Amino acid sequence: MTQDIDWLAVAAPLVLAVAAVLVLLGDAFAGPPRSRRAALVPATLTVLATVAAAVPATMLRDDTRSTFCVVRPLEGPVPCSFVVDRFTLVFWAITLFGTAVVALIGTVAVVEGRTPAGEWNFLLLCSATGALTIAASRDLITLVVALEVVSLPAFAMTGLHRGDRRAAEAAVKFFLVSVISTAVMLMGVSLLYGATGSVFLEQVDSALAGGVDAHRVAVAGTLLTIVGLAFKVAAVPFHMWVPDTYVGAPVAVAAYLSVVSKAAGFVGLILVLALGVGQLADVWSPVVAVLAALTMTVGNLLALLQRHAIRLLAWSSVAQAGYILVPFGAADSSEEALGASMGYLAIYAFVNLGAFAVAAVVGTRYPAQRLSDYRGLVRDEPGAGWALAFSLVALAGLPPGIVGLLAKVVVFDAVAGPATWLAVVMAVNVAIGLVYYARWLAELFRPSAVQGASRYDVPNGVGMAIGMTFVAGLVFSVFPGWLLDPVLGVLR
Amino acid sequence: MSRPALLLDGLVALPFAFAVLTALLARPGRPRDAAAVVVAALGGFAVLGWSVWAWMDASAAMDGSHVDVAWIAQLDVRWHLGLDGISGPLVLMTTLVVALCLFSLLRHGPGCGGNGQLAALLLLIESGVLGSFLALDLVLFFAFFEVALIPMWFVIDGWGDRHDGPGRRRAATRFLVFTVLGSALMLVGFMIVHAEAGTFDILRIAASYRPSGAAAVTAAVLIALGLAVKTPLWPLHIWLPDAHSKAPTVGSVVLAAVLLKLGTYGFVRFWLPVVDPSWRLLAPFVAGFAVVGIVYAALACLAQTELKRLIAYSSVGHMGFVVLAVATFTVGGVQAAVYASVAHGLITGLLFFLAGAIKDRYGTGDLAGLVVLYGSVPRIGGLFAFAAMASLGLPGLAGFWGEMLAIRSAVYPASALPGSTYVVLAVIAAFGVILTSAYFLALLRRILQGAPAVRPVNEDVASIELVSGEIDPTAATGPRRRDVDGVEWLTWAPLIMLTVLLGVAPGVLLAPVADAATAFLGRLG
Repeated sequence: MTQDIDWLAVAAPLVLAVAAVLVLLGDAFAGPPRSRRAALVPATLTVLATVAAAVPATMLRDDTRSTFCVVRPLEGPVPCSFVVDRFTLVFWAITLFGTAVVALIGTVAVVEGRTPAGEWNFLLLCSATGALTIAASRDLITLVVALEVVSLPAFAMTGLHRGDRRAAEAAVKFFLVSVISTAVMLMGVSLLYGATGSVFLEQVDSALAGGVDAHRVAVAGTLLTIVGLAFKVAAVPFHMWVPDTYVGAPVAVAAYLSVVSKAAGFVGLILVLALGVGQLADVWSPVVAVLAALTMTVGNLLALLQRHAIRLLAWSSVAQAGYILVPFGAADSSEEALGASMGYLAIYAFVNLGAFAVAAVVGTRYPAQRLSDYRGLVRDEPGAGWALAFSLVALAGLPPGIVGLLAKVVVFDAVAGPATWLAVVMAVNVAIGLVYYARWLAELFRPSAVQGASRYDVPNGVGMAIGMTFVAGLVFSVFPGWLLDPVLGVLR
Repeated sequence: MSRPALLLDGLVALPFAFAVLTALLARPGRPRDAAAVVVAALGGFAVLGWSVWAWMDASAAMDGSHVDVAWIAQLDVRWHLGLDGISGPLVLMTTLVVALCLFSLLRHGPGCGGNGQLAALLLLIESGVLGSFLALDLVLFFAFFEVALIPMWFVIDGWGDRHDGPGRRRAATRFLVFTVLGSALMLVGFMIVHAEAGTFDILRIAASYRPSGAAAVTAAVLIALGLAVKTPLWPLHIWLPDAHSKAPTVGSVVLAAVLLKLGTYGFVRFWLPVVDPSWRLLAPFVAGFAVVGIVYAALACLAQTELKRLIAYSSVGHMGFVVLAVATFTVGGVQAAVYASVAHGLITGLLFFLAGAIKDRYGTGDLAGLVVLYGSVPRIGGLFAFAAMASLGLPGLAGFWGEMLAIRSAVYPASALPGSTYVVLAVIAAFGVILTSAYFLALLRRILQGAPAVRPVNEDVASIELVSGEIDPTAATGPRRRDVDGVEWLTWAPLIMLTVLLGVAPGVLLAPVADAATAFLGRLG
């Protein structure tokens, strides 16, 4: 039996994987960089790789391509492990954009010279390969493996800061939590396999639709899988690792964890829950609804207490994950509800990356990252200051960050009606969240503490990252349809 | 682009464009910042002129077809604007008040921060408010509603009370959080309406949506809650006194005259169509809260010791009349609501301008420190008496018709409503009018005239003698201070004239509102 492989379909992850090897080899042969410019080569290669991976992805936009299929199934339709459809492409776009921005943010560490740029970009590309794969995976095994491909390099990236004990501690904490979550998820996956007799999501779905004998086993498997994925997306009460890991890791890694790695977790959730066990929605939908309510409430309340910028962003990203989970609470009454999660995720991705990019710049001067260190940023460094201000109001969901406001509109639209209580909880949370975003925003516009402070030395790469996220935010605020129409249309 | 479309889009775009221009010209270092403020003031008057043109061009009852293009197709959200007899008066009032605020900044800034940036923020607020008044799509209304919040937060936080940094920050954040909580709840309500009615288009909802069932009730309650925070309706008004009293003068004026109207306008435009008056509890409860607010605000005013706080509380009472009128589900109620909104905008705007002028001259808004204004600043004192009389509803001035029509509509509510309950509410509201007169007269007595410095020596009134001929009148009045200056005359004159005009000729406003209300809400009695 031979496999016919659709090379175009797998081209995008393949490009990133090859680029990862090239970056590593190039770094090994070239030796340590001799100039600041040479140190930027790996990051440049990473960005180019994401662009190159986007080319085959755009060629696939009109049709659905499947590969790695069962060659001769005994009965029924041919199940495939790797499918590139519009759903996949939306997440590929998020991942590629996010990876490019993170690579650019990572150049801020070049100045310090404590992070080996070659290895760092190699790990980043490896992890991104996994993120691309998970969006295309349509069976439980591929999904778990891809999720691990996302996570394993991320542990190393977290601890890659030389001589930083906090980074090492963050990495270990992250590693332990992640391993446990994988174990729990594997348990859930194996129960699902046992109950339905297949690892392919569509076959799991049809088996459940036909009625399985071991219904309770399938429910248990579903819940355990949710728990495993809840660790990845940092849903309360599986979020404990987030603040310490984000603060300990380099800012670029925190950005990566909060956007790309989190998106991978959400992809896993959507795939398993919607495509695999959609028949059990009446069981898992209320469970995830409670998780969502807890996640946003705890995230927002604890973010209120923070005076450390990265820790605040960490808790805010917990709260935002809660908002993304909200549409799952309406999934038992409407299949399309999960489209709202994707819409929110897409918007959250570049808005949050923008905030982290500016935090990375400020971190070069104030490593302590206190909120008061951001005083007068709008005046001292208008580009970064306005970009951060925009990101903050968008995260809070207020104009001029219209994208952020529409993200909330999208989620409310999905959930108001089927689960109005959840929408009301979210409305209260939006108001709570405003307090800390506004507090930070106020610092930006205060007169600076040091009169006549010199301008920041914004590295070109980070400047580009800020520019990319800021421009994306502004463009999509004026023409939200360009982003939301394709994303929301995916599941309809 | 057709001319009506150009006029409507321009009404949103023009203030925004001037805001950007002003912000670019603003020099934060210079408090006066004349160049930027002049541009902003020109912009304010340009928008005023534009709005008058748009109003002349619009018909009283709109068909809503001029500006209607898809904005986010997947969500069914449309860029849908329109101007009719309900929104028109509020649009004109807004553009006028903002233009006057910008004009007053030429001479009277809050004294901290740059006037140029403040002017730019006011124009931004104007853009958002005008957008909200014009929007006919639920989501678009919500989005414009929120546009004004961040700039207003900056205005209070950055230019507010100089002497109370933490206080103004708290007031600003409280304003922001309360309003956003309200609007988020309102948005949830809108989304349920969307699920029930199948559209975000308020014209279609008003024409064909028949609310029924638990979901529709939930939606109506959530929307009412959200608008009640904004209006504000008792007991959700607690953000208001702080925000108004800590804001700079122009900020208070815009907050009271303009931003509160978003709530009342929202009640007329976006709440009435989604409520069925035959529901036994919702509308009477809203009316009941409104009446409690009227009485509560009057009692609270009697206890205030700070001028701006007192005016702020009086706003709560006036808004109570507006909401009471709306909750009657009659054309007369809508007329009263729009009329009272416009009148409140003019009169309370004037009151806050005057309060700001008094605070500038005395350095305090504390009532204990303000005595015998007639003695030291007679013209300001006289104008303050005029504005207070207008506010308490003196017949012949604009405030009277708003309150009178509101009470009248409460006596004759829609037939589906419990009539006797409304009559009781109307009586209590009328009692509130008396209390309002009481506190305004007490206020005038206290700050304009002050404690009598001279007493009759004996009981025989006919032969009053001074206790002592040597009493120095300045001991009681303080030194004579600068009275009304030219910029102030020009700023206040339009408000004064319109207050009188609307008082003697209420028909100019009532007729178009009635046409628009009948066309918009065909099912109203």
